[in-house]
Amino acid sequence: MSTEERIAEARARLAPFTDAVEEAAPDRLNAPLPVEQLLPAAAALIEGQWSYLTTITGTDLGPEAGEFEVLYHFSSGALVTTVRVRIPRDEPAVPSVCGLIPAASFYERELMEMFGIVVEGTPNPDRLFLPDDWPVGVYPLRKDFDPSEATVVIEKDPAND
Amino acid sequence: MINGNVKPAEKFVVPIGPQHPALKEPGHFELTIDGETVTAASARLGYAHRGIEKGAESRSYVQTLYMMERVCGICSHIHGTAFSLVVEKLAGVEAPPRAQAIRVLVAELERIHSHLLWVGVGAHEAGFDALFMYSWRDREVVMDILEALTGNRVNYSANVLGGVKCDVTPEAAETILKGVDFLEERARQYLEVVQSDAMFLRRTRGVGTMTREEALTLGVVGPTARASGVTQDLRKDAPYAAYPDFPINVITETAGDLEARFIVRVKETIESCRIIREVLANLPEGELTTRMPRRVKEGEAIVRLEAPRGEVFYYVQSDGTDTAKRVKVRTPTIANMASVLHLSVGHQLADVPMILAGIDPCFSCNDRSVRLTSAHGNDVWTWEKLRQHGIEAYR
Repeated sequence: MSTEERIAEARARLAPFTDAVEEAAPDRLNAPLPVEQLLPAAAALIEGQWSYLTTITGTDLGPEAGEFEVLYHFSSGALVTTVRVRIPRDEPAVPSVCGLIPAASFYERELMEMFGIVVEGTPNPDRLFLPDDWPVGVYPLRKDFDPSEATVVIEKDPAND
Repeated sequence: MINGNVKPAEKFVVPIGPQHPALKEPGHFELTIDGETVTAASARLGYAHRGIEKGAESRSYVQTLYMMERVCGICSHIHGTAFSLVVEKLAGVEAPPRAQAIRVLVAELERIHSHLLWVGVGAHEAGFDALFMYSWRDREVVMDILEALTGNRVNYSANVLGGVKCDVTPEAAETILKGVDFLEERARQYLEVVQSDAMFLRRTRGVGTMTREEALTLGVVGPTARASGVTQDLRKDAPYAAYPDFPINVITETAGDLEARFIVRVKETIESCRIIREVLANLPEGELTTRMPRRVKEGEAIVRLEAPRGEVFYYVQSDGTDTAKRVKVRTPTIANMASVLHLSVGHQLADVPMILAGIDPCFSCNDRSVRLTSAHGNDVWTWEKLRQHGIEAYR
């Protein structure tokens, strides 16, 4: 299957959900979707193992924009189809795709701890990368993250002086 | 139970790590066992998390390239190449053909180094230390080549945005060819060993078997996927740099067990030797670098490259300044980790380190992401202070 055929295939698979699929590059499609459409669109893209979820990228559009954008990158051959979901910054939640794609668990855990986005129904909501003593409610990949919030002061041990 | 305080119906959880669960890198696994059989597995990573993605948001593209080389200590070149390619894509710049060919050359040398390292680690986990020592001895040959070519044994830093730093002189090419001949001969020897040593086969044949179906469902990448019959290699599927001019043969096996993963990696080492010869015989003439703007046009770009361990994914968002707005890195180990948890279930506890080693895990790649605290006193260390400390300490 050539990349052009893959583009046509991706468009056909996404047709029931959106007609706003745009070709961002010769090997890249963007599909902005409302969050409710995420699961059916993901199911359509992976059906028959036509594509696989490469990763999930969280992006913070900033406090002024008031939104996060979550990008689900589906790869098929040379083509990457990115399903883009915008969610409000004050109540950020996306449904888990683990029911369809069990391997997405790590990506969802990363998304949760780095952005504070709630992934509803994810099988394991534990931290993946951040340390156990990382303060609750501090999300390092948010644009308004202040590193001083995450400073842990190690007590001086007089015995080692 | 010896002390009798665990009832038979209770779950028994064996924590493994964070101190080198299989190799000398940190990761924590919790395995629920019934007798010797694993019934559930979970992972906790991040012990080598350095905030690289966040760090990239406050550094210029040139500074970030330096940092990206340090995502992984083994496949550093692939990260430098991925970042260079993605920024070049954003800026609408293409590196000259000679630079692209040298990128491929270093990438294939790196693949040999990485695969030989892994053969050693895998053998060591299986208790076959003779193979471990031979393969690591031979790996020195490729390390020397890389050092002669780039000046460094690791973190070669061959890339700059818009090209490469190092050139291949005819004398250097001759040295490389000689080394590659030796390495290929050794790889052929290992190919025989991993398929014939009876003791070793007890640890690899039929262990950690993953069907093609499972591999596709779990989203496994790289040699791990190819050992299960998934014909997927980005050097062929989406050729980048100079791979359109130097086509590769995708190596696959069908057994899906640890033995197949050994065979695939050793055969890939031999294939890399062939590609290196091709590149050296057909090295395009010309410049090594092209002009690269300091500020990069607004937009976003994705590149996917075939690292020694599988697909590396880079996503970069630019806002028109000299600093990226968002850099996302997906390394192959995180994609393969899910398969370790899946495959461990049903296996003997003693097989788990081998299964983990089977994906050739790279924890630094995995973790990547800065928190500065002081072990010496109650003060906070800023980046500037840390830098100054480094300068003074090594003066």
